[in-house]
Amino acid sequence: MSQLISFVLDGKVETIDFHVSRFTPTTTVLQFLRNHPRHKGVKEGCAEGDCGACTVVLGELAPNGKVRYRAVDSCLVFLPMVHGKQLITVENLKDSNGTLHAVQKAMIETDGSQCGYCTPGFIMSLFALYREAATIDRAAIDDALTGNLCRCTGYRPIVEAAAKSCSSNRTDHISASEAKTKRLLKSIPVKAVLMQTPMQSYYLPETIQEALDYKKSNPSTTVITGGTDVALRVTKQHEHLSNILDLSHVDELRTVRKGGELQIGASTPLTDVLDVAKDRLPALCSMLSVFGSRQIRNCATLGGNLGSASPIGDSIPVLMAYDARVVLQSTAGSREIAVREFITGYRKTVCKEDELITQIIFPAVSDKANIKAYKISKRKDLDISTLNGGFRLELDDEQGVKDIVLAFGGMAAQVQRASGTEAFLKGKEWIRENIEEAMRHLDKEFSPLSDVRGSATFRRVAARNLLLKFWVDTANSIPVELAKV
Amino acid sequence: MKGDLPIAHESGAKHVSGEAIYVDDIHVHDQLLIGRVVYSPHAHARIVSFDLEKAKQVPGVHAVLSFKDIPGRNQMGPVVKDELCLAESEVLCVGQAMFLVAAETEEQCIAAERLISVEYSPLEPILTIEKAIETNSLLGPPVTFHRGVVEKGLRSSPHRIKDSLHIGAQEHWYLESQVCLCVPGEENEMNVFSSTQHPSETQSLIAELLGVGKNEVVVEVRRMGGAFGGKETQANHTACWTALLSYATHRPVKIRLFRDDDMKITGKRHRFLSQYEVGFDEEGRVLALDVVLNSDGGCATDLSFAIMQRAMLHVDNAYYVPNLRVVGKVYKTNLPSNTAFRGFGGPQGMAVIEQIVDRIARQLHRDSMEIRLLNFYGIDKNNVTHYGQTVEHNRLQTIVDQLLESSQYKARRKAVNNFNARNEFFKKGLALTPVKFGISFTTSFLNQAGALVLIYKDGTILVNHGGTEMGQGLHTKMQQVAAAEFGVSPELVKVNATNTSKVPNTSATAASAGADLNGMAVKNAIDILKSRIAQEIAKVFSEQHQSNPSRPEAIEFTDGKILDEEHPDRAIGFREAIPLMNLRQVGLSATGFYKTPGIGWDKDKGDGKPFHYFAFGMAVTEVLVDTLNGAHTVLRADILHDVGDSLNPRIDIGQVEGGYIQGLGWVTTEEVKWDGKGNLLSHSPDTYKIPSVQDIPKEFHTALLQGVPNPDTIRRSKAVAEPPLMLALSAWLAIKDAVSAVADHRIEPEFSLPATNEVILLAIDTLRTRMAEPQIQKVAAK
Repeated sequence: MSQLISFVLDGKVETIDFHVSRFTPTTTVLQFLRNHPRHKGVKEGCAEGDCGACTVVLGELAPNGKVRYRAVDSCLVFLPMVHGKQLITVENLKDSNGTLHAVQKAMIETDGSQCGYCTPGFIMSLFALYREAATIDRAAIDDALTGNLCRCTGYRPIVEAAAKSCSSNRTDHISASEAKTKRLLKSIPVKAVLMQTPMQSYYLPETIQEALDYKKSNPSTTVITGGTDVALRVTKQHEHLSNILDLSHVDELRTVRKGGELQIGASTPLTDVLDVAKDRLPALCSMLSVFGSRQIRNCATLGGNLGSASPIGDSIPVLMAYDARVVLQSTAGSREIAVREFITGYRKTVCKEDELITQIIFPAVSDKANIKAYKISKRKDLDISTLNGGFRLELDDEQGVKDIVLAFGGMAAQVQRASGTEAFLKGKEWIRENIEEAMRHLDKEFSPLSDVRGSATFRRVAARNLLLKFWVDTANSIPVELAKV
Repeated sequence: MKGDLPIAHESGAKHVSGEAIYVDDIHVHDQLLIGRVVYSPHAHARIVSFDLEKAKQVPGVHAVLSFKDIPGRNQMGPVVKDELCLAESEVLCVGQAMFLVAAETEEQCIAAERLISVEYSPLEPILTIEKAIETNSLLGPPVTFHRGVVEKGLRSSPHRIKDSLHIGAQEHWYLESQVCLCVPGEENEMNVFSSTQHPSETQSLIAELLGVGKNEVVVEVRRMGGAFGGKETQANHTACWTALLSYATHRPVKIRLFRDDDMKITGKRHRFLSQYEVGFDEEGRVLALDVVLNSDGGCATDLSFAIMQRAMLHVDNAYYVPNLRVVGKVYKTNLPSNTAFRGFGGPQGMAVIEQIVDRIARQLHRDSMEIRLLNFYGIDKNNVTHYGQTVEHNRLQTIVDQLLESSQYKARRKAVNNFNARNEFFKKGLALTPVKFGISFTTSFLNQAGALVLIYKDGTILVNHGGTEMGQGLHTKMQQVAAAEFGVSPELVKVNATNTSKVPNTSATAASAGADLNGMAVKNAIDILKSRIAQEIAKVFSEQHQSNPSRPEAIEFTDGKILDEEHPDRAIGFREAIPLMNLRQVGLSATGFYKTPGIGWDKDKGDGKPFHYFAFGMAVTEVLVDTLNGAHTVLRADILHDVGDSLNPRIDIGQVEGGYIQGLGWVTTEEVKWDGKGNLLSHSPDTYKIPSVQDIPKEFHTALLQGVPNPDTIRRSKAVAEPPLMLALSAWLAIKDAVSAVADHRIEPEFSLPATNEVILLAIDTLRTRMAEPQIQKVAAK
């Protein structure tokens, strides 16, 4: 088994042996770059993935044989996660003649930088957009830039720089040297890496079997898929993680099977989940589109969001509304469990010591089911839910409620269904009078907390209103103009 | 002239390539130590004892310091000396610095910190303005500015409103957190690379702290990664701590505050609780206004009184109020000392009057824009402020006429009303608000600046001035000013990193006055150089034309040439002339100086002329509010802003838009919250939300008012920086307008600032509950 990680940087394969390196396996890519004499362009703004100043781009061999370029927050990426990938920083964008990249030129022309500190991060997000976006419109630009904060410009010139540079012929010296990059990437062997130092074990398996074996012999290991949550324990709490199982390189956990049911590998980055879900699971997509930022979604996974079982986990209520199931696997075999039974309390699940979450399964959705997801947060994007909801409604032919799921996050110690309100509504006609009655039921069902994100009163009023909003969004009798803008 | 072209930011290419060097990027040899601040976990406590011995034993740790290790004066208060560098016997807020650690790695610093033991005896903290008012915990005596007879004015007013307004704090959230690198020199020398808006003050405080002469300390600032007032006084703290560690260890030391520590330790924009009573007539004319502004100064003075002064000087905003009394009270609480933030009290003062005008309109069932127009300062009458300064060069009417037209305000008001009549769950709101902002430091002596301009033998020019670059484009403007004055291309001009050994005793780069003051100082230095060169060039020309000599007064600098305008055939290229000047022993460096003329006032009475001039602007903002979840969308913003003859329209547009968006954050999503023990809850971007790309107006029109040169300023320009922030009050009141539409504008919504989704939703919920009350329904029926 290999003990070394390798990645492509500055046109060469860079190899790190943690036995002799001053870095550890939980050194973040940001820390690595900040200590590199040639890569100080990358900036630390928050070290928690909320500002994007540390954005870099990872190039990776995609299933279609091309190199795929994705922006990530380097503060949330442990060094082993870039094993086998190409690490591209702002210093790599000028070509060998010193000519600025199209996105860099555009940022100067539109006055997209003022203090300049956020700029390298924006440049890298723009570069990923330039390389990867299928279409360039305002929505694509906004999506690409949501993970980058700027305090000076007010963003308008940066949006303009994106439109200006990315609408033109999108070739550059990075695309021109793709054949070389591929050669370099392919020269890095695809096999499991176990990094063991006196203080730390970090395992990067390539197959499910390797992962399960490791989990069995290291039951208390910290499991990460994208690392966007666990990395904060290192960067913000200065916690020492002594044993880590990193599933980000297990291809089998990153695959999606489409059939009657949709089976999504637990380590599939949410960016890819969004791709496969966009035709089939609109409510999941609407939730994922406000889940973190592009950089976060390029790493974060459904498995991770479920596994951390936070009461405000963005995806959990909507997974309940879809009646999704979790596949848990161990060396002994596998089992399936409904998401609503999977979570048992505040950050508690039924997952056993030797088990890993390997898949999320979405059953086929009946034509009659209406599923919606709602998120209430102080800022619309890149914010954590104050409360959220995943709702499902099925009406009978007389507009009576045949089936209803009202799953709320942020209203209790775990994501919880409003079962009393569901029971009240079942069989009732889906009309405003009944909804208003149900809103009063809902009020009694939860005792939310007051915290930095909102008061208990706010949560109660908002939760009630979400039910009304669900009705507005689903009732056939509502004239469109009253419901939508 | 070439210098007038709207050139891009002088560091633009470095920004986008990652080559711009910030303090944390400076290469230092391997002797560098990492510094760390250990701060109080208590809002108020007596320090019974502490023990640093175990911490000092951690391998790699080079120093663990307490106040006892300070060689000079334990003080870092910028004006009033009430801020200790390191706590002695008492801590006054969570985040107050107590000890300093320097070690070879951050991990070693953290390990050492964990081994420091302190025994505290907790004391009762004051954590809210209400509690401070109740206990009369003032930082200094209240100040009153008074014009007319307020009681009588109120008594004789047909309508009166009496209420209060809560205005929240705001975190600066500069992208680059506080950072300083100190490199000790020989004996007492200390070289300081600080991200500070006020290098001279940083230098002074370090010298006093170390007990050395100011001539031993050099502070240099290449650029800051944003500052917004947050590095006007409070960059001094990190610099002082770093210098102390460097002094103690004789090694280079760097402290870069981790984001959460920065947010916990440093002060914010002051929160205010303002109590007011206003009297007005049937048409909505304000007749009398009585206001008490209460601010939360935090645990020390910092700049709180100057900030309160500016709030008091802006409580009129753009409106003539014949009888006005404003009382300013700064309270002491057990929170980190609040500090300068773009607008410097102006926003808090203006929010009060804008809220009042909005309420008058609602009570009189009028559109608030009409009430605003009715109350604007006039040109020939009603043109004197409550502090006795005449509003000269008043642009309010010009701006409002153009903006109403370009924004199609009236048609959109109708459309908004129609939309609201048809929609139950979504409501739109529209508001126009003005800004009149006084330009000058209100502490009048600060209105001075220095420069040092050097010309080298190859004809390249190096400009040093006292201002600092924080992204606002000051160096670009200074480069342009120098190029224009010398009549050369901007490429010949480089603006140096700001350095206290080049230009001494400078004022902070603040009060929007950076370009005004330093531009004039640069010009002054260049005038001196040009005069010397002109004398000598006239001699050169005269030697060639002895029968008809050139006069020095006729020598012009233009298009890269120096020529005799009376004999245009006599010319020499600038770059050829300079080596010649050196050969002919002409001094090619000069210092320049400037002080703002004609200002002065009595700041205890609030009487006189505190401001050199006023900057004006206006914005119309339209929003959409989802009444079921409290979310808002800014649909459109139209801004027209006055910068005189812009020094650089590209930079000024950036300042106006950026200011508006920063203000938008202040009035909407940016909420600073503490728990009941004085711990900051919103201490990271996870819980503190500044605007993101998706929060900006869907349609965003920004224009600079054309054809309005500003007399008596550098190249007829006006300051920009701060005033546009307050344009965002239009977004705040547009949201209120949308909320108010829920009750068809018949009930005054319960509103505060910021209008978070919680404030919006709860205001709507209250309106809906009150709408259901029988007496309201009766009124509606009428």
